[in-house]
Amino acid sequence: MVNFNATLIAQILNFLILVFVLAKFAYKPVVRIMDERKNKIAGDLEAAEKAKDEAEAVKAEYAAKLANARQEAQAIIDNARKTAQAAHDKIVAETKAEQDQIIATAKEAIALEKKKAMDDIRVQVISLSMIAAGKIVEQKLGSEEDKKLAGEIVDSILKK
Amino acid sequence: MGNVAADAAKEAANSGEIIHYLAQNTFLGEVNMQTMYMTWVTMAIVFVLFLLVCRNPKMVPSGLQNAMEIILDFLNGLMEDNLGTKGRKFMAPFIVTLFMFILVSNELGIFLPQIGVHWTSPTNDINTCFALSLLVAFSAYMVGVMKQGLGHFKHFISPSPAFLPLHLLDAVTKPLTMALRLFGNILAGEILLIVLYQLSPWVIPELWVMFSLFIGFVQAFIFTILALGSYALAFASHDEH
Repeated sequence: MVNFNATLIAQILNFLILVFVLAKFAYKPVVRIMDERKNKIAGDLEAAEKAKDEAEAVKAEYAAKLANARQEAQAIIDNARKTAQAAHDKIVAETKAEQDQIIATAKEAIALEKKKAMDDIRVQVISLSMIAAGKIVEQKLGSEEDKKLAGEIVDSILKK
Repeated sequence: MGNVAADAAKEAANSGEIIHYLAQNTFLGEVNMQTMYMTWVTMAIVFVLFLLVCRNPKMVPSGLQNAMEIILDFLNGLMEDNLGTKGRKFMAPFIVTLFMFILVSNELGIFLPQIGVHWTSPTNDINTCFALSLLVAFSAYMVGVMKQGLGHFKHFISPSPAFLPLHLLDAVTKPLTMALRLFGNILAGEILLIVLYQLSPWVIPELWVMFSLFIGFVQAFIFTILALGSYALAFASHDEH
């Protein structure tokens, strides 16, 4: 069972033939495709990492922009609110002033009318009282002195 | 195989041995024809395996290409660890062929009765095992001298000349043990399989066949690892200096 013979030499030759044949025809293409795949996967991973980084940067940028825009919008709203408040205050103040003025004017007019009415009444009362007094004393009263006297009397009555 | 082989088989069967090598005289001298035929079958299988994968290698592998790439990747990793990148590129075809050859050889012997012909492992012949281990041993020296010049042999007297006998002993026993380990495991596996088939036609031999499949892989792996150890000297010490 254990006898050495020329098989040993033949086996060495056989094996060397197989090594050369495989090295020439078979081993290289497989290794090449494995290396190519390895490089491709490494490249893809790197590209993916890069794309991820870029996406992160863009995201951060957008977040910053969004925050900025929000801040700006808030500022605009605040501004608008302030302006509106100012306008509102101004309108209210103006309205009040106008109202006051109208009331004052009205009061003045009323006072004026009242005074005029009083004056009218006074003139009427003077002439009426003179007519009445003339009738009473049967003499014609009409001099300036009489009118003055009568006016004094009426005034003293009206004032009471 | 012809009449000569048939006669030789009959003769061998009459001799009372379980394993027959069908030795014949050729121009080289006496050659075990059974071993030769099975070696050629092994070579053909290894070649076809590679050819099927290499004829049209795909970027996205599947099926056989996947299986072959797992083996190649595994061996490449071992070579990278033991020989470095330069050593891997230089030795890869040899180591891959070595592993595939021994693996296929070992697994061939377990198809004993199923296919009707007398199939054996080429590695059940001590000539094959010694052919491989001597080839590894001597090519390791050759690669060492190629890479480092005659200075490669300085490792025989390192760390001091007193270690020379130990190194010489190692140089002799390493190929010896590599060959005998492979030979013993595979031959014993085949003999046990034949004995188990005589014991029981089913179940028990199948269990042993499963175990033999595993042993075939392990032995191919061990032989490859030890071969890498031999080549490591040729590459590793080169990097250190």
